[in-house]
Parts: sequence; structure tokens; C-alpha cells
Amino acid sequence: MAAGTQILAPVAGEHRVGRTYLWVRFVAAAPLVALVLLLPLHSDVYGHVSAYAAIFVMVGLSMNVLTGYTGQISLGHQAFVGLGALTAANVVSTGVRPADGFSFAIGMVCAAAASGAAALLLGAVALRIRGLYLALVTLVFGSVFADAVFTLPSLNGQDAGVPAYRPSFMATEYRFYLFALAMALICAYVDVCVRRTKVGRGLVALRDNELVASAFGVNVLGYKLLGFTISGAMAGLAGGVFAFWEQAFSDKDFTAIAGFNLALTFVVVAVVGGLGNRGGVIAASVFFALVSPLSPFLEWFARQTHWATYYGNNKFYISNVIGAVLLLQTVILNPGGLGQVIRPFARWFGGHKFNLHDSDGGGVGTMEGSSVRA
Amino acid sequence: MSVLEVRDLTIRFGGLTAIDGLNLRVDEWEIVGLMGPNGAGKTTAFNCITGFYKPTRGRVYYQDRDVTKVPPHRKAALGIGRTFQNVGMVKSETALENLLTAQHTRAGYGAPQAIVGLGTVRQREKELTAHAEAILDLLGLADIRDRRIGGLPYGTLKLLELGCALATDPQLLLLDEPSSGMGPEESDELGERLLNLRQELGVTMLLIEHHVPLVTAVCDYVYVLNFGKLLAEGDPDHVRNHPEVVAAYLGGEAPEALAQTETPDDEPPADEAALAKPVKRTSAPRKTAQAKKATKAAPRRRPPAKKEAS
Amino acid sequence: MHDALLAGSQFSGQINFLSPLINGIANGAAYGLLGLGLVLLYKSNRIFNFAQGEFATVGAIVTYVFYAGTGVLPKLPFFLAAVLGLLGSVGIALLTERLVIRPMFNRAKVILVVGTVGVALLLIGVEGLLPYPKTQSLPTISDVLKVQPFIGRIDNVPVLDQDIAKLAMLVVLAVGAFVFFRYTHTGTAILAVSQDATAARVVGISVERISLISWGIAGLLGGVAGILLAVPPTGSVTPGAFTGTTLTVSFAAAVLGGMTSLPGAFVGGLSLGLIEAFASADAEFVPGLNHVHSGQAELAVFLVLLLVLLVRPRGLLGQEA
Repeated sequence: MAAGTQILAPVAGEHRVGRTYLWVRFVAAAPLVALVLLLPLHSDVYGHVSAYAAIFVMVGLSMNVLTGYTGQISLGHQAFVGLGALTAANVVSTGVRPADGFSFAIGMVCAAAASGAAALLLGAVALRIRGLYLALVTLVFGSVFADAVFTLPSLNGQDAGVPAYRPSFMATEYRFYLFALAMALICAYVDVCVRRTKVGRGLVALRDNELVASAFGVNVLGYKLLGFTISGAMAGLAGGVFAFWEQAFSDKDFTAIAGFNLALTFVVVAVVGGLGNRGGVIAASVFFALVSPLSPFLEWFARQTHWATYYGNNKFYISNVIGAVLLLQTVILNPGGLGQVIRPFARWFGGHKFNLHDSDGGGVGTMEGSSVRA
Repeated sequence: MSVLEVRDLTIRFGGLTAIDGLNLRVDEWEIVGLMGPNGAGKTTAFNCITGFYKPTRGRVYYQDRDVTKVPPHRKAALGIGRTFQNVGMVKSETALENLLTAQHTRAGYGAPQAIVGLGTVRQREKELTAHAEAILDLLGLADIRDRRIGGLPYGTLKLLELGCALATDPQLLLLDEPSSGMGPEESDELGERLLNLRQELGVTMLLIEHHVPLVTAVCDYVYVLNFGKLLAEGDPDHVRNHPEVVAAYLGGEAPEALAQTETPDDEPPADEAALAKPVKRTSAPRKTAQAKKATKAAPRRRPPAKKEAS
Repeated sequence: MHDALLAGSQFSGQINFLSPLINGIANGAAYGLLGLGLVLLYKSNRIFNFAQGEFATVGAIVTYVFYAGTGVLPKLPFFLAAVLGLLGSVGIALLTERLVIRPMFNRAKVILVVGTVGVALLLIGVEGLLPYPKTQSLPTISDVLKVQPFIGRIDNVPVLDQDIAKLAMLVVLAVGAFVFFRYTHTGTAILAVSQDATAARVVGISVERISLISWGIAGLLGGVAGILLAVPPTGSVTPGAFTGTTLTVSFAAAVLGGMTSLPGAFVGGLSLGLIEAFASADAEFVPGLNHVHSGQAELAVFLVLLLVLLVRPRGLLGQEA
């Protein structure tokens, strides 16, 4: 193995710009970092919404790994998020007191593990069923799993919801936001690690063409399951954070039409963000968290235009329409998604040359597959 | 020692017998050609050898080990590299990324380590990148390093695909029409390249090829398939003048073609005795391989074993 | 007036097979109707239309707002309102085809499916934003015809007229679809396109026109299903009313029939309606099961779907995978 590497003399290749210019990037990134860290300090509402955005980022990255890299569509992701929330709330089982740090940590790990395992099961199905039928199966799986499991009285606190009070050291909204942000950063870190190693390359290869992937030595079945498991674990972790964000697990967030909407919102996030494009998906996640019915952002906007009452009555549907319009716009006109738009900037921050016409080959097109036959 | 031996390989799709009792052998340090008109079953044979298809009957031995049922990705790990007829690469990735992807089995770390992001992984990634860049240099493709392969010309793609196959660190390389999409000059260049690759890396090759000058230039031994059956074998000059081969390529009457359409539905059991027998060649391979081996520097990885020509 | 009769039967304390049977057939008929539309679009475009449930909802809502005379709208007789409702469904379906499907005709099918998901989401949102009473139901057949409600009784189990109407409608439309695909030029052209679009083009069939027609018919089928589903005691004109469970089960019905078979969707819808009804009934006839959880009905449907896809992907009546 190592011998093979030595046969061919390595060539020097530093294709990034010099380190000297990196400080420019740091200066340019400073406002963004300040925004992320300081804006949620503004008020409890801001902190609350920012934490919600962080949770959305985690789910967005989860979709990114599954649909963006592995090329497997999931229209039932709310089941994994919900399972994570259910697991965390039940494992920590706070009652009326705040959770202690230890059981809280255990709860988070269990949330990720439970959803990872559930996703592995769905992945096993995806080995046999593919394409449109997989889309259908995931849709049905999501709603059925939620409706059949989450509504069990022994798991949802006899229909009253399972309380999940935050540990005392993250009692304020801002502190909880920092925790959610840290979890989102962990997901982003895993996403980066996956994408930059043979794991991500293997996933992308099998997404493009399973025959080519296996000719390159990628265990297609195993990697597909791996993609599902990583994605499920991320979604489960997001769910665990969500339970403590809401300070309760309630099955009504994930079942029936609410669950369906949630699942589709996740798909919208992944597609509008640009499948396989981490930066774009993160940006889209934040955007859709901000226009979600929970966010005061649109409410403030509506107040300025004397539509406050109408908005208050219809916010659920307004975010639906925004999401749907952006989804259709992306799918029909701009398959690269948001990621395509911000990619030159993201690349520049990453230390590359600024190049406006640099396609990453990602976006909706990644679902097209390729025509190579064996 | 034989690197690859195919014994009594038969595969059927429904009523169609795509390959019927194929025997072939590739010895170490050889470049063996597989020829035949369109639809003769050449690519199907490749797919059976690499594990994409399960043969109905017969065995595939790789380095004297029965690998008939080994799945494709494990075969890649064992050192069987392949290219595809219509370019098998990850089209959404750059040339460099494709070469990195192709080094999957030799990455030297596992998926869990990669996900956690250990320091050793980063170190290995640097080495893999260096190796990929070295392959790009070797093939003269350094300037497309960061190009997405989607828009590249076909000839370049075929060359890069060869690079990817090399990046899997193969001991046996199966090339499916490596010269398709190339002009005569590029094709000559490719021939040189293949011979050099063998010289430098000691890779054994089996190639599907239509381009007769290329086959004559590089192959030590040639098998000709027609309608799934072995029509002729021998060194390139012998095969080129074989009357049945000429007839097959020019559309003459091939008696086997008529016979094979009436295959009985119930499959006779595999002849275990036949499977146990090593594949014998009907004529001696061209001596060039040995001659070259004697004159040029020995390969760096594996010193070639003594080969007995039957 | 139905409610009282229904309640009476529920308190009769008798266990029976008939109640879930009739419920199942009635719901199954609606699933079958939606399934017919799904199969049709799969035949013509090779896609799954996740907006099919919304075509139904649009039909029901438009019918309702004209029937009830919501806001500035005129109060129309039911049948006129229903015609407008069907026109609404067809219009939405045609718009979907022109604005979403047509621009992506040559893209991967999965992307088109994501597009139809977007349409469904958009329609739910727009329906929600429209000012109309969202918890109402359409009138029953007997209310419309201003006759005494017909309630047949079998073994003391009420058989509602709208259940019969659903079944009759399904039979009529299924027979209509059969005739359409077997004997009309357009119908056979749709089948030709579904088998080989290129070959169909070669013999002079406009694939684009066929696609538009198919969407129009699918919209019509969806509208009929929506109007039939939005009647009491269970139906209503809520935004997204038929996109959740109803659409899911209709898909399962279509898949059960192999996705390409119109009679398959019909049979699949009926079987799933029955499975669902029996799984969610107070199934005292199953030993040890007193009250089956409502999610269990869906679970049963899901398992059937999964089993069919894994074991017999071409469905029970389908010819191809």
C-alpha cells in the first residue's frame, strides 16, 4: 500500500493562496461571527429563535449527508428528529426539576443512537427499493412511524407531553443557544470530515454511479447504510436538542399534517440550500428557521406593514408558501440552489481564489445519477 | 503463475446465452487482448470477472484463488482494477477527486476514524493527494487537476479513467476499450503508455479492444469471442489472419451462431473435473513479454515469477 | 341526522364485521379514485405526483366556497358549485403541468417528484391563506337532493348513501378509464407514450400534449375524489385535508396494483380501505386486542406497502417493476 504511494514521486502542489492573505479572510469573517454570537444576546426571543435556527442547521446537515452526498431522498426525516426528541425526553425524564448534566448528556447520546439505528433500518429498505419508490417509502415511513410510535401513551407522557427541563447551567435562552450552536458545530465538523475523506468520496461515488463506486472498491451496500446512519444520528441529535429547546416532547409536533409539513420543510431546506453544498444548506436552514411560524422575524415585518393580525392568524401557511415558492424556483430555474450563489464567497473564506463561475457540481442535479453501464 | 483464469464461464439472461463456456488465462506480466464483434460478450465477460454479474456456470480464479462469488468492491481491494466502456468515473467530481475516490481501498484508515477526523487521516489524505497528483503528472493531465470531468473531451476522460484504475493500485487491470474516442496518434501513444505502465508498475492487463494496430502493438496473447464463444486464440498475428476471425468481423457465416440459439433450458451440471483443470492455451504467447522483461528493468513491486509457456 | 343514527349503532354494543367492511369499502373507493390519478400520471410521465391529494382538496374547497357563497362569491346550487370545483382541480393540474412539469421534462424523475412536493406545499399554504371557514364539510347527497337520507341497514349497521355514492363513482370512473384507455385515440396514445416516449414521438404522438391531457384527467379524478371525501361525518375542507394519510394510502393502493394498472389501483384502494378499517376498528373479534391504536391502521398499510415493494415490486396486478 505504502509502496504504491512511493512508486510515483510526489509533486508539490499548494493550490490555495498564500497564508499571508488569510488575515483578510479573518477580518471579513469577523462580522459574521459577531452576528452569530452577539445577535441572540439581544433578547430571550432572539436567543430562542437562534437556538431553533441551530437545530434547523443540524437537520439541514443531516439531509445534506443523506440526500446531498449519498443521493438518497428522504421525505420522512421528521420521524428521526421526533424519535431523537422522544428518546432524549424519556431518557432524561426530568419530571418537574431541571435535568442534571450527566443524564442530559446521556439523553443526547441516546437520541443520536436511537435515530441512527432507525435510519439504519430505513437504509436496509433503501438497499432494495430505490428512486421514486424510495421517496414514497420514506414519506410513508415518516408519517407512519410518527403516528404509530410517537402517539403511544407510554412514550408521550400519557398524551400530555414528556417534560424536558434544561439543566440549570443552561437555563437562560442564550446559554441554551450556545449549547445548540455547539451541537450544530459538531454536526458541521462531522460533515466536513465526511466530505474531505474517503467516506464522503465513497458516498458521492455511489450517488453518481454504484457500478463505478464498487469498481473503485467502495462497499456500496455498507456505505449506503453508513450514509443513512450518520444522517439519522445527526437528525436524532437535533431532535434531542429540540426536546430541551421546547422543554417538552409532544407528539403533536411530529404527527399528522404538522409532521408532514416539517418533513417537507427539511426537504425544502436541503434542496434550496443546494444538495451537497454545506454552506448553502446551512444558510438555507437559518433562513427557514427565521421564516418559520416560531420566529418573530416575519411578525416584526408584518407589524411594519399593518398586516400583523393577518400574519398572526396565518403564519403557519405563510412559511409554507415561502418554502414552496423557493423550492419550485430552485428546482426549475436554479438547480444549484443557494449554495451555488454563496459558493464563491465560501470558497474565498476557505482560502481559495475568488471565482464567480466556480460550479461545485452539487445541487438538485446530483439526484440525476449517471448513465455509465457496466 | 496465472493472475487470472476463467474456466468454463457461462452466463445466461433469460433464454439468451451471452457467454458460453469461456476459458481464458492471463499470466503475470502479460497484456492479453479480448476481441470480438459487437455483442460478442466481451464486456459481459468483464462483468463476470469483476463480479457485477453472477455467472450461471464456471469459475473465476484470481492468483489461484476462486473469486467467482467475491463482490466487486472486494475484488477491487484484491487488486483487480477496471475501466468501463463508456467512461466510469464520478462525473460531478474533479479529476483530482476522482483519483482520490479511486484510492478508496488503499486509504489506510477506516470510516469511523474518518468521521471523527483523526490527525492520521489528514496525513494519509495528503499522501493520497500526492499520489493522485503523481498519476496526473504521469498521464500528462496535470492541467485538468481541478476541472470537473463533466465537460472534458472523451479521449481525455478515457485517459483519466485509466489513471483512476491505476489509482486503485491494481495487480490486474481490465480495460474496456481504452482507445475508444481516440485518433490513431493518440491510440499509438496509448499503446506506448500501456507498455510503460507494465514496465514501471508491473501491472498485468486484460483489454477489450477493437483497434487492431493497438492490439498488435501491445498484446502478448489474444482471445477472440463471437456470440459468446471462443472463436480463436493465439498471438496477435496468428489471430489476425485466422479465417474465422476475419469472417466474424466481416459478417461472414459463423456456424456457432446458429447452433447456440437452441440451448436447452435445463442446465447440465458443471463438470467439476473440467473446472479443476487449469486452462491450457492452444498456441504459445508471443515471446515479447519475456523478452522485454529480460531487457528492461525489473518492476519495482513484484519481481515476475518464472512463466512456463505451455 | 346521520350522526344520531350512527351514534345509535355505536352504542348498540354489538361487535360486527359489517361496520368496518362498509367503512373500508367507502374509504377504499376514495383511495382508489386518487390512486387512479396517480397511476395515470405514472403512466404518462413516469412520476409520482405528490400534489394529487391537493388536487382533491382544491376541488372540495372550490365546491364548498361556491356552494356556501363564502364572502363575495355567489351562492350556487351544489351541482354548479361541484362543476366549478372540478374545473378548479383541472385548472390547478394543468397549471402544474405547464409551470412545473413542462420546464423540467427532461430532468431526472426524482427532481420532478420534488417539484410536485413543492406544488403540494404551495397549495396547502395558499389554501390556508384564503379566507374561508376551514372546518366545514360539503353537504351529503341526501341534503343536496333534498330527500330523506337513505340509510340501508344490514344487520343493524347503517349504510350511508355517500358511501354508496363513493363506490358507485369509483366504479363509473374506473369503467370510464378502462373504456378511455382501451377505445379512444387519446387513451391509447397515453399508453403508447408510457411505454416508449421516443417511439410514440416517431409515430406522430405529441408527448407534450399527452402529458397535458393526462394531468387534466388526473386533476378531474382528484377533484371528484375530493368532493366525495369532503362530506360528513369525517370529511372536511381543511387546507391539506387529503395530502396526509389519504394521499399516503392512495399511493399504497397504486403501488399495490403495480403503479401501472388502473384496475390494480381500484383493487388496491379497496383492499387498503378494508385493511385500515379493520385494523382501526374496535376489533374485539381479534382475541387480546381491545382497542387498536389509531396509528396501527397506518402501520398496517405501511407494512403491506413495504411487503409488496420488497417481495413483488410489480404489484399484485402490474406487469412491470
